[in-house]
Order: sequence, then structure tokens, then C-alpha cells
Amino acid sequence: MVEFERFELDNGLRVIFHKDVTTPMAVVNTLFDVGARDESPERTGFAHLFEHLMFGGSINIPNFDGPLQEAGGNNNAFTSNDMTNYYDVVPAQNLETALWLESDRMLSLAFTEKSLEVQRSVVIEEFKQRYLNQPYGDLWLEFRPMAYETHPYRWATIGMNIEQIQEATMEEVKDFFKTHYHPGNAILCIAGNLELEEVKKLVTKWYSEIPSKEKKVRNLPQEQKQTEFRTKTIERDVPSDVYTYGFKMPGKDQDGFYETDLISDVLGRGKSSRLYKRLKKELELVTDINAYIMGSTDTGMLMLSVHPSDGATLEQIDTEIWKILDEIKSTLVEKTELEKIINKVKTTKAFSEQGILNKSMALAMNELMGDANLINTETENYEKVTVEGIQKYAKEILQKTNCTQLIIKAKKNDE
Amino acid sequence: MMNRTLAPETSTITHIDFQSPEIDTLANKVNVYSMRETTDETVRIDFVFDAGSLKTSKVIAQLTGDLLFSGSADKSSDEIEEAIDRLGGFTGVEISTERATVSAIGLREHIVTIAKTVIDAMINVNFNTKEINQLLQSKKKKMAISLEKVSTQARRAFLSDLFSNSPYGDLTQLEDYDQIEQGDLIEFHEHKYLSGLQYISIVGALNDEDLNAIKELGNQFSKNEVTAIEYDYSYTPNTIHVEKEQALQTAIRVGRVLFNKQHTDFIKFSVVNTILGGYFGSRLMTSIREDKGYTYGIGSGVAQLLETGYFFISTEVGKEFKDLTLEAIKEEITLLQTDEVSETELSLVKNYIIGQILEQSDGAQAMMDRFISVETYGLDFSYYDKFIKEVNEITPKEVKELANLYLNWEDFTVVSAG
Repeated sequence: MVEFERFELDNGLRVIFHKDVTTPMAVVNTLFDVGARDESPERTGFAHLFEHLMFGGSINIPNFDGPLQEAGGNNNAFTSNDMTNYYDVVPAQNLETALWLESDRMLSLAFTEKSLEVQRSVVIEEFKQRYLNQPYGDLWLEFRPMAYETHPYRWATIGMNIEQIQEATMEEVKDFFKTHYHPGNAILCIAGNLELEEVKKLVTKWYSEIPSKEKKVRNLPQEQKQTEFRTKTIERDVPSDVYTYGFKMPGKDQDGFYETDLISDVLGRGKSSRLYKRLKKELELVTDINAYIMGSTDTGMLMLSVHPSDGATLEQIDTEIWKILDEIKSTLVEKTELEKIINKVKTTKAFSEQGILNKSMALAMNELMGDANLINTETENYEKVTVEGIQKYAKEILQKTNCTQLIIKAKKNDE
Repeated sequence: MMNRTLAPETSTITHIDFQSPEIDTLANKVNVYSMRETTDETVRIDFVFDAGSLKTSKVIAQLTGDLLFSGSADKSSDEIEEAIDRLGGFTGVEISTERATVSAIGLREHIVTIAKTVIDAMINVNFNTKEINQLLQSKKKKMAISLEKVSTQARRAFLSDLFSNSPYGDLTQLEDYDQIEQGDLIEFHEHKYLSGLQYISIVGALNDEDLNAIKELGNQFSKNEVTAIEYDYSYTPNTIHVEKEQALQTAIRVGRVLFNKQHTDFIKFSVVNTILGGYFGSRLMTSIREDKGYTYGIGSGVAQLLETGYFFISTEVGKEFKDLTLEAIKEEITLLQTDEVSETELSLVKNYIIGQILEQSDGAQAMMDRFISVETYGLDFSYYDKFIKEVNEITPKEVKELANLYLNWEDFTVVSAG
């Protein structure tokens, strides 16, 4: 049970406080309700580029990192398709330093041309390092636009291409800040061995002056139901082939999310999963295979990642994968198999809640989904899943017409 | 409006409370370290063996480790995995140069059964050839992929040059996988696992009965004496380029053989390293990322091996920035050697380092990790008191002296791949 308190400032800032008496550290986690899905198709990668600019100094403080490091703390941030999250970890006695810094950059950034110019280059190098200069690095750049036709999930957080990052202007940066970075669009979570009254006092001191703004209503083009099998083969300079399958699935707060998560576990989580046992251990058609879900807020994806063995054909592998998928649709999963999966979920959950940083992030993200207390009810939601529910959603999701397949072929260089 | 330009008061950390684990010694002289005062249901048990890659060839150590749960005369690998999964358990095998760590992970109610299953499987493993061949296939594939990365290419060239006279520089080649005999694995398992348990560490709220059950498991092994092997760590600095024509970025590794925490200059040199490239506000990050935008990240560190250590600077930069980056690195090092660091910068770095130690000691698992990281080198928690004291005491003059002593460009091997 993760206990927490909740309060809200007049300017709309929602604050969660979690008391943990066992730690000498404190966490200030700031979640902004903006991600790559909120970008315009002409300026993809912008939410992430903007995250970099948040470290380029704020209106009253020229340097974000320095004072925090001086206080013995460290910080970082990440951007996803759904949200942007910033966190600071400091010795508890220096909590106020983090609040000072975070509130100032929520108030306003310094917006220097130098910072924009440099961070554009840094992000372009990040683009190369993670997506272009790695074997299979462009997999998601290729897969997303196949799987999604209308929803902005069709581009990755890094952006569609380097050119769009190169073209980002200061005016766009300022607009983005105005629209998305204000108290009403943020959730602040503070954790540590602290007292609620003290936290309230400090948060009010540093944040209450930040003017409130109207929260922008999100109106994203939602993805239509997929009605045809999509497949594409691309050649890359890689040592071996990789096959990727994706099936559209419910978003995080939709019915069927938990069932589908467990379906992916039955199929391909770990060495006792069905795909692994059959395709790798028994038939030796693959050297590795696994299944997982992308926990997206809107229409998500159940993914299969397949590394074929030398000599195995796509046809053989595809046939065997579909046999396993058909089996979970036609025959109820044994109760014991479901229990096994739930036990793994419970262990993972218990470990994921270790430490105040993990807890703070989870509280903030759950609050964004509607209720921070979901952190405490999530396991129940998995336990409520029935074998019939698994079958129902397996039938719905694991259909050929709901499947997107990307085949990466190793270029043959041996002539 | 209040004055937001003024920073709130901060206070520095003067003392950190380190808690030692309980220590029991088994009949076979194996130590069991346990931290049982935890606040949740999670348990992690590590069985640590003298089975690192230095004790044989890299490939044999790695394959033996990976095959520990691959089945015995009466249980298949599927049955073992199934049994562990049913209890919500996880296993882990990690092979370093010196040691192999076999972990049993799970919730308290099932952890003893999970650990028993893990230990039973690894003791009785029979290395059947089907399992060996399946593993070889997937290992070769993974390695071929990894070898495509410029970061891997640079790291390999760097290590094999630095440690050309010791097994630390002896890297796995793809062909090595084709020369594996089942007998090699069986022999290594017998000597380095069955007779090579070094210690057990437990983090989790076990009761006495459960703790005793884990100790029983440890008693099934014997402990060998680990003999330190003296290698020749002398080397000649080189400049190496690994060409990869179509690469968009160049990976850079610069560094030298240095020392580990047993050396008297280690702590103070860590401060020098932090200033140069050991944190986000470091000089290398400030110059090469935040000022010039050549890279997504650059850092430096001291990697510690049981007998020695090495200093390295590591980055991946746009291909066109390779020479400019090397120049900029050189410039930052020269600056450390010629100009004294300001009191402001030094005080920031000191506070940062001590804050990080506080964070790295936060929680039972973190505390156990701190304990193991001194115990491994024959030290105890007093090392950290010394660490904090020496960090607080270092002067700008000493920083400059250490930079002159250990950071000379002509002592560095410089590797680029891309």
C-alpha cells in the first residue's frame, strides 16, 4: 500500500505527497500532460526537443543543474508519446532547492537562441546514436506509420526525421511553453521523510505565484479499427533478419487492457511462455522470441519480436506463430497458467515500487490517468481477469486483419 | 513577487549512517550476508561464485553461466523455468571478469522454494548438447549484432589494447563459439561452481527459519581459495581507428590503465574524474555537449577490476566532429593541469559526490551493494568515512597535481570507431 495525500493550489497545480520515513532523500517529480502525440505532424520530435530546452536556464535562474548538484542532488527527464516527466532527487534537507528550480522553469524559461541551437544539435546526435546508427535502430520509425494511420502515435518521440528538428524555431518553442507548461497541465509529486504541512508551505511559497492558464482540450484524431493485414519488407545492413508483429489493443484506461497485458505474458514473457517453448525450444525455428505490450494511453499495441534461426523461413515461423495465437483463441487458458502469470505480475509490481523515485513517478502517472490510487488497485485489476476474459480479448485482438507485420531482411553482401 | 533569483539555503551532508549486514559463516567457510530489516515483501538472494571469465576463457564462463538452468537428468529446462515462474520468481546470472552471480528473486512467501529450485537446477545441470547448441545459435546471433555497433567496436579495441598482456584484454571472437566442447563446461562447472561458492547475500525480510533454509543450500557447495594471479599490466599507448564506412557517428574511447579503490590516490582522483567527466555538469559535458552540441553524451570514469583499474572517456559523436571532439577533450584536460579549479566549482563537485553516496546507500539493497563493493576489495565501511573525509579535504592544488600525475595525453590509448 502506497499512502499519499493530495492537495491543489488555486492556480490548478495538483500536488501528491508521499511520506517515506526510511529514506534520507527526497524526490520532486513533475509530470506535464504533454507528449509526442500533441505535436503537429510538421513538427514531430518537438515535445522531446522541448524537454532538452527545459535544462537551458529559466527566467530567474541561469543554470538549472548547477544549484541542484551543489545541493547534492541529481535530475533527469524523459518524454514519451503520452507525457513528459521531470524528476529531481535531493538529500531531504535540501528539498527547497529543487522546488525553487522546478517552480522557476514552470514560471518561464530563459529562451536563449544559443540553447535552442545547441539542443537541436544534441537531439540530432541523439537521433543518430539511438535510431540511425544502431542495428535495427529505425525499426520503430518504420513500424509506427504502418500501424497507425491517423493517430499521432504514427511517429516516434524522437520525431519522423532530422529535418523537422533542424527547422524548429524560437517562436514555436515559446508557443509550446505557453500552451503546455503551466500549473493546470502539471502534476507535482513530492516524496520523502517530510511533513505534509511543511510540504504544503513550501509548495505554496514557490508555486502559488505562477499564473494559471486554461488547460488545452486534447482532441486527437483517433485511430480507426484496422480491417486489413499490413505487411512490409525492408532490407537493412544488419547481420540477421528480425520480424515484428503488432496487434492493436485497448488503451490504458479502456476495457480489456489488463486482459491483453496478460495475453502477451502467456504468449511470450519469459522462458515458460507458449511462443518461447514451442518456437525456440521445441522447433528451434527462432533464436529468440517475446511478446509485450506498449502501455499507451490511447489505442496501444501488443507486440511480438522474433529473431529467426538460420535456415528457418518466414512461412514456417509465421505458420507456427498463428497456431499458438489460434490456440489461445479457441481453448481456454488453464487456471494454473493464469495464476502463474499473475504471480509474476505481483513480483514485478513489488519490485517496481522500491524507492521513492519509482513510487513518485507511478503516483504522478496514475494521477494523470485519473487517480493516483490506481497504484494500489492495479494488482486487483489483474487478479479480476478471468480465463474467459482472456479468450474474449484474444479473439478480438489476435486477428490477421488487426495485424501489422514488419520484416527486416539482412542485406546480403556476399557476391 | 518574491525574489526568485536567490537560492534557498542548503545544508551539506557531514555524516552518513552505514548499516552492516548480519554476517554468518557456514561450516564450509562461506559467508552469508543478510539485510533483513526491509519494509516490503521483496527478496533477492545472490549466490556468488569464483566463476568469472578470467578463470577460464570468456566463452566458457559465459556459456556455463547461461546454461545453469538448462536441465538435469530428471528435469528439463522447461520444467525448471515453469517451476520458478509458477512461484512468481525470477532468476539472474551475471558473469563479470572475476565472478559469477546467480540470483533468486521473488516475494517472501515463495522465496525459499524458488531458491531451492534454482540451486537444485544449477547443481544437477548436465549440459546436454541440444541445449548447448540452441544457446550457441542465439549467442552467435546476438554477438554478430553487437559487433555492428561502433560503441562495441571502440570498447573492444580499447580493452584489448589496454590489456594486451592480461586476460582482461582477451575478448570473445565469433569463432570461439565453434570450438566449445561439452567437457569444458562440465569441468568449469565442477571446479568453479560446485567448489567455488564465495558468499551469499540476502536482502529481504526473511525469518530465522527461512534464513536457515538458505544457509542449508549454501552448505551444498564448497569454497575454494581464490588465488590472485599477477598479470603484466604494463602497456604502450596507441592510437587506433576501426573503420566503419557507412557509420553516421564515431565512437571514441580514450584512457589508460590506472588503479582501483585499494590505491591511496583513488578517492581524490575520483574528484578529479567527476570534475572532468563524472556528472552532468562536468567539463566534458559542458564543452562537448552543452556548448558545442557534438554529442548526445560524454563521460569519464574509473572502471575497477579486482587487481587493477582503468580510466576512460567515452562518447559517440557525429562523424564530422571526431577530430574536433578529440581536440576539445585534450583542451579540457590541459586546463585541469594548468589552472587550479575554482573553489566554487570544487565545492559543487564535493557536495554532489557526497549527495550521490547518500543516494547510493538509500535502501537495504543499496546498502548491501555498498557493503559488497568494499568487502570485495578487503575493505570495510570505514572506507566511506575516509571517502567523505578525503573528498571534503581535497584542495584545488591537489586536483591540479593529480591531473598532472594521471591524465597525460601521451599515456592515453585513443580509439575511434566509425
